[in-house]
Amino acid sequence: MPLWIPVSSTDLALIANPINVAGPDFPGSEPTTLAERGGPHGIRAVLGRHKVATFGLSLFLAIVLVAILAPIISPHSPYKQNLGDNFLPPMWSEGGSATYPLGTDPLGRDLLSRLIYGARYSLLISACSVLFGSLIGFAIGVVAGFWGGKVDTVLMRLGDIQLAFPFVLFAIAVLAVSIERTVWQIILVLGISSWVLYARVVRGRMLTERERDYATAARALGASRPRVLMRYLLPNVWQVIPPIALLNLGFFVIVESLLSFLSLGLSPPTPSWGSILADGRQFMMITPWMALLPGIAIIVTVLSISLAADGFNDLVDPKLAHGGYLRKPLPGTVHDPEHETGDCLLTVRNLSTRFLTTGGAVHAVEGVDLHLRRGEVLGVVGESGSGKSTLGLSIIQLLDPSGRITSGRVLFEGLDLTRVSNRKMTSIRGRRIGMIFQDPSNSMTPVLTTGFQLREALRASGPVSRERADRLTREALVAVHIADPDRVLRAYPFELSGGMQQRVMIALAMIRNPDLLILDEPTSALDVTTQAQLLDELDRIRRERGTSVLFITHDIALLNGFADRILVMYGGEVCEDGPERDVLRAPQHPYTQALLSAVERASVTADGRLAAIPGDPPDPKRPLPGCPFAPRCPYVMDICWVSKPPRVPVGTHHRAACHLLTTLKELPA
Amino acid sequence: MKGTLESTASPMLAVTNLTKHYPAQSGFGRSSKSVVRALDGVSFNLWQGETFGLVGESGCGKSTLVKSLLFLDRPTAGEVWFRGALINPAKLGGYRREVQIIFQDPYTSLPPRMRVGDIVGDPLRIHGTRGASVIEARVADLLRDVGLNPARKHEYPFQFSGGQRQRIGIARALAVQPSLLLLDEAVSALDVSVQAQVLNLLKDLQERHGLTYIFISHDLNVVRHMSNRIAVMYLGKIVELGPADELTAAPLHPYTVALLSAAPSLQRARGNRIRLEGEPPKPTDPPSGCSFHPRCPMARPVCSVETPPLIEWQPGRFSACHFALEVMELSRRVQTREYGIDTAPPVRAPRGENGA
Repeated sequence: MPLWIPVSSTDLALIANPINVAGPDFPGSEPTTLAERGGPHGIRAVLGRHKVATFGLSLFLAIVLVAILAPIISPHSPYKQNLGDNFLPPMWSEGGSATYPLGTDPLGRDLLSRLIYGARYSLLISACSVLFGSLIGFAIGVVAGFWGGKVDTVLMRLGDIQLAFPFVLFAIAVLAVSIERTVWQIILVLGISSWVLYARVVRGRMLTERERDYATAARALGASRPRVLMRYLLPNVWQVIPPIALLNLGFFVIVESLLSFLSLGLSPPTPSWGSILADGRQFMMITPWMALLPGIAIIVTVLSISLAADGFNDLVDPKLAHGGYLRKPLPGTVHDPEHETGDCLLTVRNLSTRFLTTGGAVHAVEGVDLHLRRGEVLGVVGESGSGKSTLGLSIIQLLDPSGRITSGRVLFEGLDLTRVSNRKMTSIRGRRIGMIFQDPSNSMTPVLTTGFQLREALRASGPVSRERADRLTREALVAVHIADPDRVLRAYPFELSGGMQQRVMIALAMIRNPDLLILDEPTSALDVTTQAQLLDELDRIRRERGTSVLFITHDIALLNGFADRILVMYGGEVCEDGPERDVLRAPQHPYTQALLSAVERASVTADGRLAAIPGDPPDPKRPLPGCPFAPRCPYVMDICWVSKPPRVPVGTHHRAACHLLTTLKELPA
Repeated sequence: MKGTLESTASPMLAVTNLTKHYPAQSGFGRSSKSVVRALDGVSFNLWQGETFGLVGESGCGKSTLVKSLLFLDRPTAGEVWFRGALINPAKLGGYRREVQIIFQDPYTSLPPRMRVGDIVGDPLRIHGTRGASVIEARVADLLRDVGLNPARKHEYPFQFSGGQRQRIGIARALAVQPSLLLLDEAVSALDVSVQAQVLNLLKDLQERHGLTYIFISHDLNVVRHMSNRIAVMYLGKIVELGPADELTAAPLHPYTVALLSAAPSLQRARGNRIRLEGEPPKPTDPPSGCSFHPRCPMARPVCSVETPPLIEWQPGRFSACHFALEVMELSRRVQTREYGIDTAPPVRAPRGENGA
């Protein structure tokens, strides 16, 4: 994903509703309580949740209002000199008077009025500079990113020069030579010195968007290049500007005062906070408030902008709202007295996991039960919204900060993983439970060699001498059938092919001989032939070492001949689980049956059409009170909409959750 | 409609010796030493109304072929003839309307900040349709055609599911009334339960509008179901070409056998397959002679010396293998389990790659 901060309302909606499936409205689909939905969405509600940010925003708006209404609210003219009343202190000090509430400056001008008008000029300079700088920066960034090649190189080198050029020198060159320094000259200086900030980010964004499929599609449709740029690319590029601009706004207020310090600011008598501050510096001993008051004004303004910009950040990136990265173990005992270990390595009981987002609570996993024996392979299969990946992450306790396990237990060799301490969990991960993810190119850092990363994995369980580490890592690679392990150890991950990377990942995960290996779609990013090779490897390893495997996939055909047992998930719940042969040959749940026929593409009608399942996968944000498959089930009954089907045994160690099965059982023989 | 659709009429699309080389290193003033042969002399014909399946793994040149057929990248060599006329990259004109593309990823193939009605309507505007009501009516027709509710034209792509987004993409492509659609892994990113819906839709549209498809996928099952003929690509070349049923039942190239046997299947046990040695080769440094010979289970000395041309071994069945007729024996051995996976040769690094 490119790094970008969406700001428009479309973006906000996009973040809030990532999988908003607009399907037919079925009964019971509305969330029940406000708490379930994660809170109301109106403007007032949003502001209510972000009190600090709202405070900052209101403060800033108040300052802007002051600036706008300056002629009305200021008690005197900022230029009116009254030499008889100069150097007066503020009214709360000795000698001060109410006519000049904040005192006067050396020329007898009212400080309050000058500060109020100063707000005008400071904010005007800052805002216009930001506007100017961002417009130039945007234009240059767009041109550089869109045209690429030599144009891009030239523009970016210009930007480098601009950055390297001392700002003060530039300011002197433009401002020192003029006799009368106006607002516009200062805007010019600040704007020109800041365009690079925007240009680089815009260019980066443009380079990414230009390569996207929708841009290619537009070209293929016959859109001219200007049209592709204006209609398709620009609407997705400009959003990077506002966050930078906002923070720049505060910064420029300070920079303007810096220029005044250097006598490069506004020519007197025009008041700006910076110039008042600069004047006040000379008389710090006599009239400290003259420097202090504009300083406070600057601090308050910049702070209010920062509070607002930072405080509302979680609207654009929901993960920031949940702060703490650290997992909190659930309360309760770690050892479950009711649990009989037997030869069950892993037992999951009634596990439910939810993600809290601003758009509502996402019910990823609901009431899942599973068990896994030593040396067994359990295949977990499901489509989007089934919760299979979340299940894997819940077991190994690596959920996102916004995820919470709301009920259930994960018992691993007698220990409840949801309740063990972070320290204990860290020692379990890697040592006793390993996990392999989908995209191997994202699983290893590209700046360290694979050898380094493998040694690091070894060292996590204690210090190891370099020779021993080298030997063990080499053996680990040989164990996954890599022919020249030395070359691979010296290589960086990006130098290896996808299949090779995933083999290294398997070696990495197996290096400390874990009892349980969780694999989340490990072959989805790989070619078919590489996939087959890797599955062979996994099969061999687990047979040799007796490792239990939890294999999560969307492709049920992969589990044929690979898994010992299969668990089918839909809409966060378990539909069916049982021995591999039984589930594949005699599926009992309508979803499993439909999935298998869809995969086999076996049911073809006379005119060559496939038997498709109508409708779309479920929306985890809108869970149904009844069976999640009800909207798409060919055998749906009234009861399916309202109550969850219980799991009933349908064979040896084979269970399915379907009302049809319960009903059939109740029929007289 | 199965079986070949060759007729005495001339082909709708004729591709001869299409080649695309990319310089491996580019930049200001640096001369390129090595070249990526993304497409290496690809030739085939396409007849009106057929579905031409294209199968291959990563690095085989499928995506480059798509880009070259759309002339988004100028080919290094070779020609593309459409309805008997040679296409000039500088003067595309009407060709752009005739050939359209459906992408793999439903999440990036639609502009995220355009309303669906505009996404589907823009092609109409680009090609000269005027009048808001005319465009609106046409957009409504297109949305209905792909099974979507026209009332939803004010919504944004993120409000639709993956399968629905693909439908929007199809509607957009059909707006300009093309004759040829390139389906670049069009259903690969969709859930299995949704794939069937979209495949059925594609077949319906083909019948209704007389479309011709080039169906690209890595999933052989899907390709077999949809296509009349299939071409198998490896490292920039077509290594086998033939009618879908015959090719999958009795392949004439060892790579095809490997692909067929590696595909996960509920019917066939996992052990029954050819285990390919080593890694897929790098396109910058292809092997000498036949590019498949380092991994081929039936490689002979001549394979590393002479590049096998794509020749017609049987009517309509093309293969680029010196020993095409012996491949049938290999296929039989795989099916009767004589060729299994019990002996596991180690995975070798690709030839010609230097470390770091």
